[in-house]
Amino acid sequence: MGLREYVIRRSIYMFLLIVAVVCFNFFLFRLPTLVLGVSPVDLMISEEMRRNLTRDMLEQLYFRFGLVPDPDIFDWIYMFWRYLVNMFTGNFGLSFISGQPVIDEIMGRLPNTLLLMGTSSLVAIMLGIWTGVKVAADPGSRKDVSAVTVALFIYALPIFWFGMMLLMIFAVYLPSVTGGLISFPLYGTIDTELWPTIKDSPFGGLIMAGDILHHLFLPMIALGVGGYGGYFLYMRNNLIDVMTEDYILTARAKGLDENQVLYKHGLKNALLPMVTVIALTFGFLINGATLTETVFTWYGLGRYIFTSLFQLDYPVVQAIFMIIAITAILANFVADLLYGVLDPRIKYA
Amino acid sequence: MSETRRGSWKDSNWYVSMSGFFREYRKHRIGVFGIILMFFFLVMAVGAPWIATNDPSPGATIAPTFMAPVWMQVFDPNAVVSKEYMTDPYLADAPVFEYRGSPDEFSYAHHASTGSSDPSYVNLTWTHEAYHPLDFVVPPIPLSDMPDCRDFVFFNKTLEWTPEKMPNDVNITIEFSMTTTGNFSTNENGGLMFKLYIWLIDSSGNWKMVYKSFPPYSSVTQSRNIDLSWFDILAGWGGMVPDPVTGAQPEDPTDLLTIGVGLAPTKEFRYFGGEFPWRTYNGSVTAKVSKLSVFCYGNYYGLLGTTDKGADAWSQLIYGSRVSLTIGVLATALSTVVGVIVGLVAGYFGGKVDEVLMRVVDFLLVIPGLPLMMVLAAFLGPTVENIIIVIAILGWTGTSRLIRSQVMAEKNKAYVESARAIGASDTYIIFRHVLPNVTPILFANITLGVVGAILSESGLAFLGLTDPSKPSWGRMLADAQGSGGFSNGAWWVVVFPGLMITSLSLAFTFVGHTLDQVLNPRLRER
Repeated sequence: MGLREYVIRRSIYMFLLIVAVVCFNFFLFRLPTLVLGVSPVDLMISEEMRRNLTRDMLEQLYFRFGLVPDPDIFDWIYMFWRYLVNMFTGNFGLSFISGQPVIDEIMGRLPNTLLLMGTSSLVAIMLGIWTGVKVAADPGSRKDVSAVTVALFIYALPIFWFGMMLLMIFAVYLPSVTGGLISFPLYGTIDTELWPTIKDSPFGGLIMAGDILHHLFLPMIALGVGGYGGYFLYMRNNLIDVMTEDYILTARAKGLDENQVLYKHGLKNALLPMVTVIALTFGFLINGATLTETVFTWYGLGRYIFTSLFQLDYPVVQAIFMIIAITAILANFVADLLYGVLDPRIKYA
Repeated sequence: MSETRRGSWKDSNWYVSMSGFFREYRKHRIGVFGIILMFFFLVMAVGAPWIATNDPSPGATIAPTFMAPVWMQVFDPNAVVSKEYMTDPYLADAPVFEYRGSPDEFSYAHHASTGSSDPSYVNLTWTHEAYHPLDFVVPPIPLSDMPDCRDFVFFNKTLEWTPEKMPNDVNITIEFSMTTTGNFSTNENGGLMFKLYIWLIDSSGNWKMVYKSFPPYSSVTQSRNIDLSWFDILAGWGGMVPDPVTGAQPEDPTDLLTIGVGLAPTKEFRYFGGEFPWRTYNGSVTAKVSKLSVFCYGNYYGLLGTTDKGADAWSQLIYGSRVSLTIGVLATALSTVVGVIVGLVAGYFGGKVDEVLMRVVDFLLVIPGLPLMMVLAAFLGPTVENIIIVIAILGWTGTSRLIRSQVMAEKNKAYVESARAIGASDTYIIFRHVLPNVTPILFANITLGVVGAILSESGLAFLGLTDPSKPSWGRMLADAQGSGGFSNGAWWVVVFPGLMITSLSLAFTFVGHTLDQVLNPRLRER
């Protein structure tokens, strides 16, 4: 089977998965209506208001949320059809809370999430690969054992708590000890008090970038450390596996020095599976980090899912679910293809 | 089941017996450490009722909020210890009795306990005969610290205050009953004619009234808890400590504070509603005091301080291990059972069944994990059972893939072929031959699954998705975050719950890693 056939098969399969996710989403977020008979409109208007509204007005109100009052089975089919049409035309509806289009709300938060997740993943991947290669050259050594123990420790660490500790040390204690010399903001993505300065100053953009980086630093460290353990272990184990292969033995037998064997022959091969892992990571970037964003009150998608869920703002949660799932599916697809392109030994089956 | 499991060791090429396995396991220091740590948490969870010192429910207020742990006092030599300062609060020994004015109508008695069913008490009695004169303060002084009548009886107990610092808060608890006879019990206004008072009397002789009783009274013992105001505390304790601002010497000569409890007639007894009760009343009033406790709070309380709601952090921490362990272990057990069954079925039968099951796995893998858990937990209601189910729903995919790949490798081996040849059923082959051979690889997976479940549980609890009546570590962190615990300097509400989550999951991580090293043939060959 050739590459072309493989891509076509994967694309069909990908499309089916997306359809499954879309259907699942529909039922997941109508679960309260299906099971308990409570619709979002009931939460918005009181019983008294409902009595004062005419049937037409009520229907219009429900229509706004893609619902039908007192649905029977045909209404459900109609609602499902409307939902399908909306999802595939990119119309995610209005947020119950703000009344704004969901897509606008999401787009407002997306850059923050991508910034936080992107930088922290980069830090984690770089550190993971670097230290992984360092210790894999000599497995079982003291350096290796202690690095693995640290990685296991990070694996067991609740990252949101680590973030709270960072906040406590760098945003509460160090500022008071050093008299404000070393100080990180306790919350937020940007300092609103700086807006006038940013507007007036000719270097406003620089000041804003600096302020965002200042706010970014602690959550980035928290997430970077949190992701590091996994990348490190993966890199180390891969490289140790590769170093037992026959072609490494051949390289050594040719009389190459150990560094050349490690970096030229070992690392290149060990990086291959790493590339797919990284591709998958970037697929889940949009996912955000709900817990860490909540701790640092970061204005991002992860925290937005959480707050919308607790405000029963279902169109938002539904839309974010959709977007995350579709990105993840695409990332999987890309990772598979990428692996094949990078490693010519792979056969499409 | 134990048969099967033992079989797996026998079948294994590397281990002849369990003891062989342990011999190998012991070589890994972190594995042994993990086992010890796990045992420590198990003891904590099982022994929670004995280890915890207070009610663990998160809303149970027992002290002021954000008190520091008691052992922090070593950094603070002048610290005020939060404890009972009254020696003998149950009045086992006779206190000092005194009269003011004429003692004609007053008497007292002390009853020493003779057994556990017969507590000690102090009686203060006032017996009045009509027209017996009393020395009233005329005209009455409003807001006076002294009673309206100069004749009265009281008992006092002295406590010693050695710290050179005022307490942050003081609770005085008094248990008393009132027995009245004659007009005091028959007249509807009889309860207004007397009062029970509590005074703080400093060593310079200044009296500060902190409590006076109000009708209705009962002959059944009742308890009054008096939370002293800052002015009361200043009047009582202010003279015994140097001025916190100027450092001036204390004004009172000694570090002794006397608590007086007295029974006195009120101004209503002289004149009330156009009548003169002192001319008409005959009868007696007896106040029976069975407890007088003075609990002073410093900045320190309990082994780990108090939370934002004034609950004991230590007890919550101890009971939190139960929630984490239960959810961690049960959720993993559930997801392992599902994962193993799916993996065995998919791997053994292959074909259409395999295709469908693996597509379900793929589907679950692209759904965002924590958000789905949040949605489900919020819809189902965050009880312990539902959290277990929610975590298990997403947890089985990895196990099923692992088992499937192992089964696919095993099922074409000769021993399965021969079992099938002699007519063994599929179920028999799966559970008797295939499962025992993939079990070792499962152990590490299970242990690491527990880590994921514990971390998920604490994350959900941190977001508020937890049983509101049960203490949990994630919830403690959420309370600390929501109430600004660490920005107020209360680092103990942040550090310890997180340390507990980390060390519990670390224990499972270490054990899981070691099991992986020992049991995974791929790693062992290195």
